Amino acid sequence: MRRLGGALLSLAAFLVVWKTVTVIGGYPVYILPAPEVVAERGVRAVSTGLLWHHTSLTLLEIVLGFAAGAGAALVTGVALGKSVVVERVLSPYIVAAQAVPILALAPLLDIWFGGGFLARVVVCALIVFFPIAIATMVGIRSADPLLDEMLRSLGARSAQRTRLLEIPSALPVIFGGLRVGVTLAVIGAVVAEWASAGSTGLGVLINIANQGLFDTPLMFVALATLAVLGLTFYGLVVLVERRLVVR
Amino acid sequence: MTPRGSASGALGVTIDDVGVRFGVPGPGRVTALAGLTLDVPAGSFTVVIGPNGCGKSTLLRLVAGLLAPDSGSVRVDGVAPVAGDGRVGLAFQQPRLVPWRSTLENVALPLELAGIAAPRRRAAALETLERVGLAGAAQLRPRELSGGMAQRAALARALITDPPVLLLDEPFSALDALTRETFDAELQRLWLERRRTVILVTHSVPEAITLADRVVVMTPRPGRVARIVEVDLPRPRSADVGGDAHAAALGGEVREALAAAHAIELRPWAEQEGAA
Repeated sequence: MRRLGGALLSLAAFLVVWKTVTVIGGYPVYILPAPEVVAERGVRAVSTGLLWHHTSLTLLEIVLGFAAGAGAALVTGVALGKSVVVERVLSPYIVAAQAVPILALAPLLDIWFGGGFLARVVVCALIVFFPIAIATMVGIRSADPLLDEMLRSLGARSAQRTRLLEIPSALPVIFGGLRVGVTLAVIGAVVAEWASAGSTGLGVLINIANQGLFDTPLMFVALATLAVLGLTFYGLVVLVERRLVVR
Repeated sequence: MTPRGSASGALGVTIDDVGVRFGVPGPGRVTALAGLTLDVPAGSFTVVIGPNGCGKSTLLRLVAGLLAPDSGSVRVDGVAPVAGDGRVGLAFQQPRLVPWRSTLENVALPLELAGIAAPRRRAAALETLERVGLAGAAQLRPRELSGGMAQRAALARALITDPPVLLLDEPFSALDALTRETFDAELQRLWLERRRTVILVTHSVPEAITLADRVVVMTPRPGRVARIVEVDLPRPRSADVGGDAHAAALGGEVREALAAAHAIELRPWAEQEGAA
């Protein structure tokens, strides 16, 4: 309850500062609209179904992209953590793929994966992959060698040691990666939408509002929606973490 | 009952001319054990004593199958041990409990790894916890246990499969002297119940005399057997066994052997000094 109160208080302060800046600056609406203008535009976008039309697709891209990317990253991270050979062979490619800007890769992936929904999910998955895979690898290696020896003395096979010791030891670090990854998934979806030719998605809505309609309040509505999506997913990851990680 | 008690479930251990080296060849290479030969009869209680770093823990890891010797052979009942083959139980110097599991789940771990169903391993774990006087702590997590309770839990984990050979690596060394005496008495009781083969590593001469059939005194590194002292005191023995004249003599013999083993190590220095 107190946490919620704190969040509301900080939101109120943010809105006050925003409003003050618009009053003092007296900017035109297409540069910086006042909060109530954005709110009014938001209500209209919701009531016409415009916002949900774009948000629903982006939401799906984020969920599927994050699930695919995180799933692949967990499996790869365990393999990287357990085998030095696997790490030596794979890590140059993983690091190189991460070092290439996603903004530059997205158009290419868009061509490869048919320029539609699938391409967007792939971009999302790719951007999510790196932090989670690396966190998993580091976490797997953080397992206590004394406990590992204890398990070996009891005849535990490699897969059993992974399940009983390495993954539970890695969980706090893995969740650090998931927290980073889930916010990146939101970025990935928008970047992918910018690179693709589709006509739906919050990224597309930002483009339309900004360049097509000069409807800056609508752009703010889209940005706020992305922020809310990011916060929500982040909060969900933290909730799961609280349930799974024994401290 | 034979005078030794029933040793039907116990197995003998033979260690023949074993050498173990650590590290890559070169000046940094450490020879932990060299030419170690030791015969541990089935159902006997053997205590290994020696200075720090003489390879006592290495010896236990060999018998547990966690380590293969570089030379010589280690046999449990004539067959080289493999970690987890169920013939050897090992309790480490530290409790090594899995922190995110309850005491009960920790104790049941060997059965879980063997694929035994949950209700059966739960029952067995409760029974074993009772044997070590820890039944009330079944649902506690390791961090909620005192040092002594954690050691009991670790002992229970080693006992739950009733291994024919039980290896104890200074399991009570972190405990205060009084608690330790209680543990030694309980250990003796547990051993008298089932008469499994026990190899216990310690630094403490009184503990060795209280528990052992035979005390194996090791040399400093590279470790080998310096001397074996047979302890022919009647059982059950109490912790103040040192008050007994014969026990005191045996303790003196062990101390003497330890001192002599050190002298072997020091002699080359003495010779060099004499030459200079």
